[in-house]
Amino acid sequence: MTEEETTMKKLATILILTLALVAVPTLAILGATGALDLVGQTEETWDEKAVYQLLVDAENLSGMSRYNNQIIAVDGDLALPKEYRGVTITYSSRHPEIISNDGVVTLPDTCWIDSRNQQGQDTTQFDHLNDNWPVVLDVTLTFMGQVRTAKLMLVVAPAEGFTCDKYLG
Amino acid sequence: MKKLLLLLLISLGFSTLLPLIPVSASAGVRYTDEDYRRLSAVIEHVENVLYYGHAYNQDTDLLPDAINTLTGMPAVWTFPNRAEVPYSDLANQQNFFRTLVALSLVTGDPRYREEAEASLAEYMETYQNTNGLMYWGGHRMINLDTLLVQSTESENGPHELKNMLPYYELMLDVDPVATVRFMQQLWTAHFDWATADLNRHGSYSAPYNNNVFGQPMIPDIIVMDEFGMPIIPANSPGDLPFVNAATDLAYAAFTLADYTGDPAPREWAQYLMRQYHLASNPDTGMTVYQYKSTLITKSASECAIPSYTNSGCGDRVARQFRDFGPIARESNVQWKNTQAIYVDNILMLLEAADRYGVNEYVDWARGYLEGYLDYGYIRINGTNKIIPMFNDGTVTYGYVVPEVGYYGPSNMRLDYVEMPTTYLLPILRTILATEEPENQVKLWTYFREIAHTFGLGDVGPLGGNAPALDLDTAIDDPFALMAMVELYQATGNSEYLESARTIGNNIVHAKFRRGFFVESEIMLYSRLDQPETLALLILDGVLRGLAPADMPYYLADSGYIHGYLLSDDGVTEDRNYSQTIIYTKTIYD
Repeated sequence: MTEEETTMKKLATILILTLALVAVPTLAILGATGALDLVGQTEETWDEKAVYQLLVDAENLSGMSRYNNQIIAVDGDLALPKEYRGVTITYSSRHPEIISNDGVVTLPDTCWIDSRNQQGQDTTQFDHLNDNWPVVLDVTLTFMGQVRTAKLMLVVAPAEGFTCDKYLG
Repeated sequence: MKKLLLLLLISLGFSTLLPLIPVSASAGVRYTDEDYRRLSAVIEHVENVLYYGHAYNQDTDLLPDAINTLTGMPAVWTFPNRAEVPYSDLANQQNFFRTLVALSLVTGDPRYREEAEASLAEYMETYQNTNGLMYWGGHRMINLDTLLVQSTESENGPHELKNMLPYYELMLDVDPVATVRFMQQLWTAHFDWATADLNRHGSYSAPYNNNVFGQPMIPDIIVMDEFGMPIIPANSPGDLPFVNAATDLAYAAFTLADYTGDPAPREWAQYLMRQYHLASNPDTGMTVYQYKSTLITKSASECAIPSYTNSGCGDRVARQFRDFGPIARESNVQWKNTQAIYVDNILMLLEAADRYGVNEYVDWARGYLEGYLDYGYIRINGTNKIIPMFNDGTVTYGYVVPEVGYYGPSNMRLDYVEMPTTYLLPILRTILATEEPENQVKLWTYFREIAHTFGLGDVGPLGGNAPALDLDTAIDDPFALMAMVELYQATGNSEYLESARTIGNNIVHAKFRRGFFVESEIMLYSRLDQPETLALLILDGVLRGLAPADMPYYLADSGYIHGYLLSDDGVTEDRNYSQTIIYTKTIYD
């Protein structure tokens, strides 16, 4: 072994020892605290997450939101989805006389709001300004005991020949 | 041979550097180069603010509210007479002071804290009215050319703080006499002890009263009707008790009581906040922006004009939203000032609970948020929104306003209310402050859904110990960052820390431009009150193992100037806010 080879060997040894000195405690710290263990979830928690994702998918992909912000002007069943890949979807209407908890629409026979001027005077200027009813449906999505909530905002026009004479102001 | 030597030198250098990098041994968190790059960006921002801020006028330690990132010059307020005034308003710099203190803590360099102390010391010594009020807030500023006080609201603009929540800890360290005097006078100038009327505007002429909290306590002014519903008095002589002004009064009084040991300020703070609580809707839980309506003092002929929105014509919602009947009152509106009601106010309540032991505020905060989210929270097209309504749950979505009024023009259609990321903090902090797990369930469920919709990934089931976060999230938001840090502190789960690091990196990538933090790449001004740098330093402190209690804490980001100015057209007079006029300017304007 030449002198240069001997020197190189010594340097290599020092390098390995130095790296070991740095790396071993660092990895030990990270390993002990799980700082790098970002994917080591248990099967139980992973299942929980999968359920959560399924509930999110049910909200986004089931079609339950397709009437959001749409003006509904006909009576009848909206055919809101009740199930999506095993997820049960139920609805609770804040105006069940207009949209039932099953998603059946009965057009109201009155306007939503009778609008007048700020003096409370009934002028024709504001007729039909606020005829359409905003109806909120509270939605519950359930799968394997896990629950996700959502809301729908549907806007319903009154039936033909409706009245508008219940001023609250 | 040379390569080997180089490797050896690098490895030796690395090994000798390690002990110099503060590492939280308990958390086992390694401080990385990326961590340092974020800190480095904050240091560069702070150094630039200090350099350019001081360079403009070396006769003062005051700093401008904002700095032009192209020129290094202060932001200017252009008055209707075309006078361009570079200005300093310490009420609008509280997050920068917190940033300076935090930076001294994480770097060990006391210079930054000393900068904050020098600025505050000069302000309190020079710009405190003899009655105790500071010349700061919505309508007063210091002209950085003349170092004189200026008013943006006629000649004698009033004192106004709305959710500015000053950094009292530091102020008390710097000048306790001036700070105590200010906290006392804040109540004298804004609160009527006999009627509980409260005005966001306080007079600089109100004499100082050192026995201010010695007034006899009065009965609650909110009483219930026969149905158990709150009666909102309509007897306020134009002094509307907006909650964003009350939040500052209460915070000052809680801090004062804690500092002096005198329980009276605390009792008054509790009295004040109780009026809002009593005025809340007991069925829905939703709370109020104010607990009084104004007395009608103007003539019927004046008030017959819809565009005349003076509060002397009575409740402005009762006028403009008369169609809805008795529920239409300013106090009950849930589509305007919602940030003040459900973010800033709740953060103050939780701070009072945590720091000063007002434990019932945690339950109050939970009730308000649960009611608001139960009735109003909706996801629309993958975004978090709030359905506009009154606080009894009466929906106002889609309502078309017949006539002009205080709340907007005629034919304005009420749409969903934005739900910004600021909501993450009050919801999370309420959960973390709630002791019983069964009482955490509902808010946690909302928090999980809201955070997921913001693109943070899944925080998992209650407790947050098994999250599945999006560690590659694109979100670049300081409130999301602080939420992840607080979840890490609560759970010890390193996934939150990794998420916080990602968000922090995103913030630096998206908002660190031209040596300053800006709202976005193209925005011209760097605002001293922005929360990004404080959020990044809170993360840095956690990485270094600093105790959260030792770090400055985020409470608000509400500083502004309001008053008369020259419009951008250079001709017309306008009355507007700095947020609208100054912080919307881009580098292309």
